[in-house]
Amino acid sequence: MRAVLAIAANTFREAIRDRILYLFIGFAVVMVVSSKLFGMLTVGDETKIVKDIGLAAMQVFSMLIAVMMSMILISREVDSRTVFNILAKPVRRWQFILGKYLGLVSIVAANLVLITFVLMLTVLVVAGEFDFMLLFAGAMTMLEMLVLAAFATLFAVLTRPILGSLMTLAVFVVGHMSADLWLLTRQLPGALTRTLVAVVYYLLPNLERFNFRTEVVHDLAIPSAAVGWAVLYAIAFVAVVLFLANLRFRNKDLK
Amino acid sequence: MADIQLSVRDLQKTFHPGLFEASVEVLKGLSFEVTRGEIFGFLGPNGAGKTTTIKAITEIVYPDAGEISICGMPHTSLEAKRRIGFMSESPYIYRHLTGREYLWFGGELMGLERNGLEDRISRVLDQVGMSGRADRTMGTYSKGMLQRVALGQALLGEPELLILDEPMSGLDPVGRRDVRDIILKQAAAGVTIFFSSHIIPDVEMICDRVAIIVDGRVQAIGTVSELISDEIVGYEATFVGALPADLRTTLESHHVASGASWVRVTTDNRDTLIRELGDRGAQVVSIEPVRSTLEDLLMRHYEEGGS
Repeated sequence: MRAVLAIAANTFREAIRDRILYLFIGFAVVMVVSSKLFGMLTVGDETKIVKDIGLAAMQVFSMLIAVMMSMILISREVDSRTVFNILAKPVRRWQFILGKYLGLVSIVAANLVLITFVLMLTVLVVAGEFDFMLLFAGAMTMLEMLVLAAFATLFAVLTRPILGSLMTLAVFVVGHMSADLWLLTRQLPGALTRTLVAVVYYLLPNLERFNFRTEVVHDLAIPSAAVGWAVLYAIAFVAVVLFLANLRFRNKDLK
Repeated sequence: MADIQLSVRDLQKTFHPGLFEASVEVLKGLSFEVTRGEIFGFLGPNGAGKTTTIKAITEIVYPDAGEISICGMPHTSLEAKRRIGFMSESPYIYRHLTGREYLWFGGELMGLERNGLEDRISRVLDQVGMSGRADRTMGTYSKGMLQRVALGQALLGEPELLILDEPMSGLDPVGRRDVRDIILKQAAAGVTIFFSSHIIPDVEMICDRVAIIVDGRVQAIGTVSELISDEIVGYEATFVGALPADLRTTLESHHVASGASWVRVTTDNRDTLIRELGDRGAQVVSIEPVRSTLEDLLMRHYEEGGS
């Protein structure tokens, strides 16, 4: 486990010394803070609008950081061949994959903590009180990012960085359209088309399972069973996808 | 029986670049053994398969066939990997880390005791002459500094077997001497050195035994003196004045400079050359035998290999 943590720590350190991360974080913070402006300009409950836009910004920028940093940090390690020095040491390939993944999710987590904090402060300014449910929304976004980062890791070992980024982005978009995919499997003409859509539906994660934005924004009750299932769902997907990434990387010749 | 530190048997590797590109057979049944305490030179031209062999030993590529063992253990075992120190061909480094952080990272990966690791790193940095620059990020290092830090991380685990892939390439004369001295010091301390290079003088200077690899196979193996026998392969003569235009002796090569001529002939043509020079009253400065060199041997195998 020490090698895994060393690789994770090195990945985290590499990211926090990279200017591009701060660019993303800066945009995210500006977006969250400026949600107050949207609240002022829009008809409706200002607090709810601030929360809604803030949570959406939190999700989108966390996704962008997960996608970009995974491609930069994993592909760079292979392309610049620094991975040679790791694998020549008493380190298994799965430890490398797991270490890179943990390093990546720790970057996303640090970013999420910061954005959640900024959003809570913005809501405090608007509503005059802390909304601790935003912490819950942040945690659920983190669960979603755990799944997405696992896919990003898989694509980083499968293909080139740009294609990998696009594929991860596709998982994010399609993952939020799972309900529509399900409807398509019922309504599309032609058995083959329906089967193909069904395969995509079952292979890709339903990221809407982690979306509790409506409940948090409108102070609705959150069913604990749904939260429990979301946690189990994330764990299962992360385990399977990282297993596949290891399967691909395990016997891969590095040139 | 000698204590074998590294054994490579019948190693084969073919790369398949893509659907529309031909496969490349890089290793074609390569075998050799390295015994404890020796400096083993792995000499060959670029593209001979040296780096692929090292990548196979360090589990960066997987051979199609063959066996590799390190200190009697399969090369894939973690215990075997703990016994080796590896320095890759180009120093692949993390630009964001300082030299000291890089060595600490290496120590963590090796599973070295944290207690005392800081002291060990300082010792190694001192050994490779990087103490004063260890706290700068490696993105600011010169090639020579990167080589030194890379060598430092290879030495950090106090390895029994040091695998060095072109450790002196790209270094200035001072850097080359320093790296050579470090290697010799390690060898004197009992560390087995596997030294891969295409630079012949480096290999001749420091290696106890040499394997010549051409076209994915070991073509010759032995001590330098065994490989380059005392056989005289020709003669070189130097005499005052220009090269006579009517010289009938077949020359292998010749050169005229500063009022003197230099010619090289085969052993069979020596007497003819001496007679002809005598007939013309040439003022002969020297006639010396030419013995075969490692370079001759490498070139011969290279040409026979049709590479």
